[in-house]
Amino acid sequence: MDIGEKDKYELGKRDEHNNINYQAPVLSSDWQFGGANLTSAGMSLVPTTNPLAIGSSCASASLVDSFGSSLWEHPSNSQNMGFCDFSVQNGANSSNAMEVGKGLPNSLRSSIDRPFDMGWNAASAMLKGGIFLPNTTGILAQSLSQLPADSAFIERAARFSSFNGGNFSDMVNPFGVPEPMGLYARGVGLMQGPDDIFAVNGMKSVSVMESQKSKLDATEATRDAGLRVENRAKASPLENERKSESLMQPNEEAKQGTGGSGNESDEAEISSRDGGQDEPSALDGTGGEPSAKGLSSKKRKKSIQDAEIDRAKGGQTSTKTAKDSPENQQKQSMMINKTTGKQGSPASHPPKEEYIHVRARRGQATNSHSLAERVRREKISERMKFLQDLVPGCSKVTGKAVMLDEIINYVQSLQRQVEFLSMKLATVNPRLDFSIEALLAKDIIQSRAGPSSTLGFSPDLSMGYPPLHPSQPGLVQAPLPVIGNSSDVIHKALSSQLTSMTGGLKEPNQHSNAWEDELHNVVQMN
Amino acid sequence: MRSPFSLKQEFLKKWILGLQRCRSSKKNMSIFKRKKVIKLSADVAMASARKGTTCWSRALIADAVKEGNADKHLAEKILGPASERQPTEKVPVGAMAYNKRIRSKKILKRSSVIRRTIKCAPQAARPSSIVKTLVGKRRQILRSLIPGGEFMNGVSLIEETLDYIISLRAQVDVMRSLASASKLVNLN
Repeated sequence: MDIGEKDKYELGKRDEHNNINYQAPVLSSDWQFGGANLTSAGMSLVPTTNPLAIGSSCASASLVDSFGSSLWEHPSNSQNMGFCDFSVQNGANSSNAMEVGKGLPNSLRSSIDRPFDMGWNAASAMLKGGIFLPNTTGILAQSLSQLPADSAFIERAARFSSFNGGNFSDMVNPFGVPEPMGLYARGVGLMQGPDDIFAVNGMKSVSVMESQKSKLDATEATRDAGLRVENRAKASPLENERKSESLMQPNEEAKQGTGGSGNESDEAEISSRDGGQDEPSALDGTGGEPSAKGLSSKKRKKSIQDAEIDRAKGGQTSTKTAKDSPENQQKQSMMINKTTGKQGSPASHPPKEEYIHVRARRGQATNSHSLAERVRREKISERMKFLQDLVPGCSKVTGKAVMLDEIINYVQSLQRQVEFLSMKLATVNPRLDFSIEALLAKDIIQSRAGPSSTLGFSPDLSMGYPPLHPSQPGLVQAPLPVIGNSSDVIHKALSSQLTSMTGGLKEPNQHSNAWEDELHNVVQMN
Repeated sequence: MRSPFSLKQEFLKKWILGLQRCRSSKKNMSIFKRKKVIKLSADVAMASARKGTTCWSRALIADAVKEGNADKHLAEKILGPASERQPTEKVPVGAMAYNKRIRSKKILKRSSVIRRTIKCAPQAARPSSIVKTLVGKRRQILRSLIPGGEFMNGVSLIEETLDYIISLRAQVDVMRSLASASKLVNLN
């Protein structure tokens, strides 16, 4: 669709466009003419866009003419117009719209138009219908009918919408379109960085399109199946809607296939909702119920419902579990037997009971299976929150899959670090003699003006691993008072532990005691 | 929550002790042998620092001393005489049963996974099932990373992961400080 083209074109040719302002008058007339032909409500803004349109990028007047003519020729494509409206009306705010639209040759525009048509059909279907009139979308349809890279176009458009700083957002907002665009942006933004678009400054439109198309094609493998459309010059609205639906689904799948952007609530909801279902897959149909109801209950979480229905599995009143307490909802009461023996209530009940009292949420199945599943899921999500704090960089991420990814990466990196450090220690220390006196001496030398005895002490130690002489304990003990308060604290804290640990040591106990204390000093200081 | 500092102290203590026990075996070791010794002693020390409270620590030690392991003698030496293995005493005894359980559970899991995939194959198009398999695959990977992770599921997996991450972090910190200290000592 033109708009996608415009997006890309705008990004790619912003510099060029500014120089072509003089062409404005010519283009404006053309554009107005085209607008008049369309006679759609959406096109009412065409006059406003004219000055901008012209000032846009047109590489040559011929392009503009062709564009204008194409506009006239195909007034029937609803989708195109829908999108065209979108960009046109917002063109007042951004010169991009017309820039992009004008400069592109027909073929490119049409190629881009088609996938975007599909996307925008979905968008229009989802939006309040008044904005996009079917007859108005046909303006650019014909010109854009030959676009082969549907997916590429959608991706570009999405990228444009996600990355356009101020201009496109202006275009977007008045129409309340951000949602569908957002969806594509999310799904697409993940696949490629925006750098591709912005790096294309100064390139010709054709090359821009082609390069982007190639890149997009490489990444859009999952969407190509449903998105390839031949000539859609005269596609009916129904057909468009069908294709848009098919587009939506592979898009959604692709989105989830890429692990979710993690930035949008929709995806987070989906992933979190479905992530919680992976465990209960073993269950029968009950697994499906709580998922749907879970979502509904999540949505209704904020509202406090007062439906107290006493289901008597055991005919007992329910006590809220610690997990349910933050829910703040009146629920059906249910009791679940768990052999784990955990007592959920926060009160100081003796742990002799082996039941976990769980309340079913309003609208949820009160089946024991589903309730147990819910409790499990909540536990899991609670732990995941801890993990979020622990793993760096996980705070912004929502959704189980991405978070698990981060956790896996972190654990792998930590394990690799251990390997690397053990190798490093092996190289540093040819005899596996990590003598604490040496380390301690180094510390003394470094951090304090150590006594000369220690200075003479350390070279002896670093030579090798000498057996401890009786004189050495004295030397070792000497630095102790030098070290400071922390060592004393460690002394006392660890002396008890050390005495138990020193059974297997070759060295006498007091040596190991001193060593261990100094060891901890080393750890502290380092 | 155990303080990280005390955990580091504990780990360092046990590690040095374990290294000392290994030191007498050979005078000249190749670098790879040394690295293995260092890593093994560090892992065992880390696991024993937990005193058998966590599943992964038990599994790690069990793996180290199991029969098929090449470095079994090394691990046993590091762990010290049997009298000292108080927290891990149950481990060598149950190590055999543990390993058998591991094997049988692996078989069970594999068969169940196959069954599940066959059942869910026609529904693969649904986005919920796709996400489910995504999360499930990642869980599998996580299980393979954490020692003894094959047994854990759901909540326990995440708890063990938490503990394992904390331990790994402490281990890395201690090793790093020891490495830098040793390097400085050698430079002097």
